[in-house]
Amino acid sequence: MTFAIPHQQRLSLAIAALGFLFLGVFLLYPLFNVFGSSLLDPEGETLTLANYTKVLGRPFYRSAIVNTVSIGLAATAITTLLAVPFAFVLARLPIPGKAAILAMAALPLVLPSFVSAYAIVLLLGNSGIVTQWLQSCGVGFGSIYGAGGIILVYTLTLYPYVLLPTIAAFKAVDVSMEEAAQNLGSPPGRTVWTVTLPIVLPAVLAGALLVFIETLENFGVPFVLAEDLPIFAVEAFKLFIGETAPNPASAGVLGVLLILSTTLVLLVQRRFLASRRFATNARQVPPLLKVGRGLQAAATLYCWAIVILALVPFFAIVVLSFLEFRGPVLHGNFSLDNFTGLFDRSLRPFANTLVFATLAAAFVTLIGVPIGYVVARTRSGVATVLDVVATLPFAVAGTVLAIGFVVSFNSGPLVLTGGPLILVLAYTVRKVPFAVRSASAIVHQIDASLEEASISLGRSPLQTFLRIMVPLMLGGILSGVVLSWVTVASELSATVVLYSGPWRTLTVLMFQSLEGGGAGTATAAASILIVVTLLPIALLYRLVRRYELS
Amino acid sequence: MAGIVISGVSRSFGTVRAVDQVDLTVEEGEFFTLLGPSGCGKTTLLRMIAGFCELDSGEIRFGDKRIDKLPAHLRDIGMVFQNYAVFPNLTVAGNVAYGLRARKVPAPEIATRVEEALALVQLAGYGARLPHQLSGGQLQRVAIARALVIRPQVLLFDEPLSNLDARLRVSMRGEIRELQKSLGITALYVTHDQEEAMSVSDRIALMNNGRLEQIGAPAEIYRHPASRFAAEFMGTTNLVEARTLGLAAPVWVSLRPEALRLEADAPAGWPRVAGSVARVEILGPITRLDVKLGDGTVLKTATLDEPQRQLVVGAPVTLAFDSARLTVLP
Repeated sequence: MTFAIPHQQRLSLAIAALGFLFLGVFLLYPLFNVFGSSLLDPEGETLTLANYTKVLGRPFYRSAIVNTVSIGLAATAITTLLAVPFAFVLARLPIPGKAAILAMAALPLVLPSFVSAYAIVLLLGNSGIVTQWLQSCGVGFGSIYGAGGIILVYTLTLYPYVLLPTIAAFKAVDVSMEEAAQNLGSPPGRTVWTVTLPIVLPAVLAGALLVFIETLENFGVPFVLAEDLPIFAVEAFKLFIGETAPNPASAGVLGVLLILSTTLVLLVQRRFLASRRFATNARQVPPLLKVGRGLQAAATLYCWAIVILALVPFFAIVVLSFLEFRGPVLHGNFSLDNFTGLFDRSLRPFANTLVFATLAAAFVTLIGVPIGYVVARTRSGVATVLDVVATLPFAVAGTVLAIGFVVSFNSGPLVLTGGPLILVLAYTVRKVPFAVRSASAIVHQIDASLEEASISLGRSPLQTFLRIMVPLMLGGILSGVVLSWVTVASELSATVVLYSGPWRTLTVLMFQSLEGGGAGTATAAASILIVVTLLPIALLYRLVRRYELS
Repeated sequence: MAGIVISGVSRSFGTVRAVDQVDLTVEEGEFFTLLGPSGCGKTTLLRMIAGFCELDSGEIRFGDKRIDKLPAHLRDIGMVFQNYAVFPNLTVAGNVAYGLRARKVPAPEIATRVEEALALVQLAGYGARLPHQLSGGQLQRVAIARALVIRPQVLLFDEPLSNLDARLRVSMRGEIRELQKSLGITALYVTHDQEEAMSVSDRIALMNNGRLEQIGAPAEIYRHPASRFAAEFMGTTNLVEARTLGLAAPVWVSLRPEALRLEADAPAGWPRVAGSVARVEILGPITRLDVKLGDGTVLKTATLDEPQRQLVVGAPVTLAFDSARLTVLP
């Protein structure tokens, strides 16, 4: 033996090696090819920046950049302004129905946002139900298409990203700090402004950043609502799939620019938050504030209004799916035609969705949980690099990753295009960061001496991982599985680039009926997606409740 | 069962030499303690024996068998952790049976051995409980039973009592000592508590900055500290220049407070030093006393409580000391 690896590091290194292998082939290699195609001349021989000057030289694409960023900023600002007071009310004010509000407020995170966008079109679009009703009353309003509609849908679907961490932060504020401020003579309003808000600011910013990145990468919402307004992710898709002349080089340029901008935002946030760690150790949840009747009623109304407005589009879609459509025109009769229309050709897309989501959720767990374990337990350069690489998919739009997949696995040693596996692999790569994050968070809470105790009692590190760590992490792993399953089932941006022939999914079906104008089929597909999403969440919720009660 | 032989063991973390050329032999059946302040390398040394920390150089043997290259799970060690490390997802019996299952012991034998081990730590009948239903002291008993039941070659204790309250600490250390003696297993115990170390150990190795400062029986180290560090770490002492006590040699000496008495209480032959009372601290059974000598040196001593005696700050006082208990320090 010339090169000895210490025993206690072998398991971690083996996991890291497998993790790098997977992420290398299915993340770094495709991304490298996207970079490559954006930097090569049309013959694919010499390196050139010509693609960049060509794309950036066209006002159309320059305006795509401006539109995407300004819509993202506007949506982030509005979301934050709505969610922070919401979080404060839920954390600190006595209002009825808190548990219900919390449960409902988390739902937009798992429900597909493009379904919400589509519902907005059906309700408020040019021939939308609400629009027509208002017109008959003589009231008109501006078009829902374009920036306004997109920002509206982003706000309604992304606000939980800010709300949930901010609630947790408000609850973690050590109340003695507020008491100290008041003791020093600061009135309650000023105390919130000068003490409480600065303490929760890092959590707010972390949430706002998630919102901003989501808006940059989102494909479905602008695809439904943008009409002629050029948006980054949509234009990259059109350039790549383009019916007239597919242009991987220009699509690559947009993809690279998208990755660079999300990475930049992530780095800025890291730098900013690194110097602002106000972890306070609240020994108890801060007490509810006493407020007057009027303020309490206003706060209650405010919270319920946001929660309900965000869910109305989904509810509307389900109702509409049971009504009769003729082409895009709605008739008021109850009918199951939409569903029979959706399934009369085959049940295949439905089955595909279930099978792909199940496989991807299994892969995500099998790959993400061990990586999360290594990232949390090992203090070495290898673990840090693994952490960065495993978080990278977060900064890569689904469209861009999918373009990389097509460029990489269309020929050569590994051909995947045209099959089902390419979809499952793309889903897996996209959701791995979430599994890694949640697994490492759980591992951080499990004392390392438990593993050492098991090992010194005679179980090898691998057996220890399976017999001690996995059971202790089970609750977290299970919710992770459900969350990946649900989000994979409604994945759109990578799917529309990668699907082929018989491997269509429910989202593809919906996407195609959107393009073809089959509104009835689209609502039916959307309804089924909503059910497919909510059912596992409800089951998980019940399971967790029962587990906590026992 | 076997003794532990540690020879030339070193380990650095970055530029810090956590363990520096340590040579140590723990006899078979001995209760041996590594004592030292935090960061002295005692835990690192223990973790090297357990297999959770690599050696840069040197070797560790159990009897004749070299074990430092062996994976941790094959070393046949019973280890008791500071925070108990009782598996929260297993019952008490499941915890105790864990190492036996890993060794593929047949089920009926596991059942009897688990019961025996639980009886040994006075937890008979607790087998079906879950860890969250137990107190800290009970959890530590589970951890001890779990380490004993596998009949390990060596028992390692990593500050096992530091999470318990003071009263329980005192009774548990007695129990641990008794268990170890009755089973005759070689034990290596790590602590930063000097009193705990003296109470349980056959021998103590005092560690400082990764090196062994002194090895010996508890009383020997206490009475004959080999260095200033040893004298100060093992309880309270007065470190003074010999001149201050009226001796000629230009050396530093250690004089324990109990080797000093008020003149009235001292045998006639003891040398005297005069000073004034600098501080009086009445603790109930004893009274602590700081006496300031003419040259400014402060000597710490103590007397048993005596209501008639009037000790006032500033009052002149004469002390006597037992010169046989002076330790000259290098």
